[in-house]
Amino acid sequence: MKFRHQTTCGKTFGLTEDFLPEFNEKQQVTAPNDCQDTSQPTHFKMVFILGVNFPERNLLKKSLQTFFGIGGNSSARLMSRFNIHPTCRVGELANKQVLDLTAVLSEMKIENDLRREVLNDIKRMKETGTYRGRRHALGLPVRGQRTRTQIKTPVKLNRMERRL
Amino acid sequence: MLPTRALFGRSVWKGPNIVPLRLPLTIPPPPNTPPIRTTKRAATILPNFVGLRFAVHNGKTYVEIQVTEEMVGRKLGEYVATRKRFTYKQSKNK
Repeated sequence: MKFRHQTTCGKTFGLTEDFLPEFNEKQQVTAPNDCQDTSQPTHFKMVFILGVNFPERNLLKKSLQTFFGIGGNSSARLMSRFNIHPTCRVGELANKQVLDLTAVLSEMKIENDLRREVLNDIKRMKETGTYRGRRHALGLPVRGQRTRTQIKTPVKLNRMERRL
Repeated sequence: MLPTRALFGRSVWKGPNIVPLRLPLTIPPPPNTPPIRTTKRAATILPNFVGLRFAVHNGKTYVEIQVTEEMVGRKLGEYVATRKRFTYKQSKNK
């Protein structure tokens, strides 16, 4: 009886000893997981690119495209220039990459500079009295489209001050 | 992002559409010279046209234009409208 008891005790003790470190390990593993879980819902963590805040979880390609004057093509080019993979999230960027992107973007003609340029081009066409300038002013399609039907877009956008 | 987008309108090997027009012999032309009458609306405005007066055909009449520096590189016809704005005319007999 004694012997059995000892063995069982020993077994149980051994088992617990075996389990304990595993349990500790699990706790250690779960601890960082918990940290990640807490960080994920707080998507307020932002990354600054050219003075604009982007949520960490957004795709970088789409985030770059929010700038006026950067489309799918040029954003893909920008990313490949700094060896960033196409499905990269904003949060995955290294600090240096963010700085590089900002430096390049600040040199590019985007946002208000580009808007001003486009508006000036249209204004020049109007002032010299070209056909295209007149079509812009009238709110009609500029490039020879039919006007019998389907001119919603030019009616909406071609004003005295072109909507962009 | 095509670097040659601006040239899509016309083949490069053709060059600009240079039409032989009767330009005045002396530049600037003496006063009271009549404007250059032409129907060649597709003629490209060359740098030596600047300051000249043209009478460009609009399909019905000749409309006078004064060429300025900003017009260089464009076509004569761009500055003369061919269409009238629609206006409703009250018909007498209903």
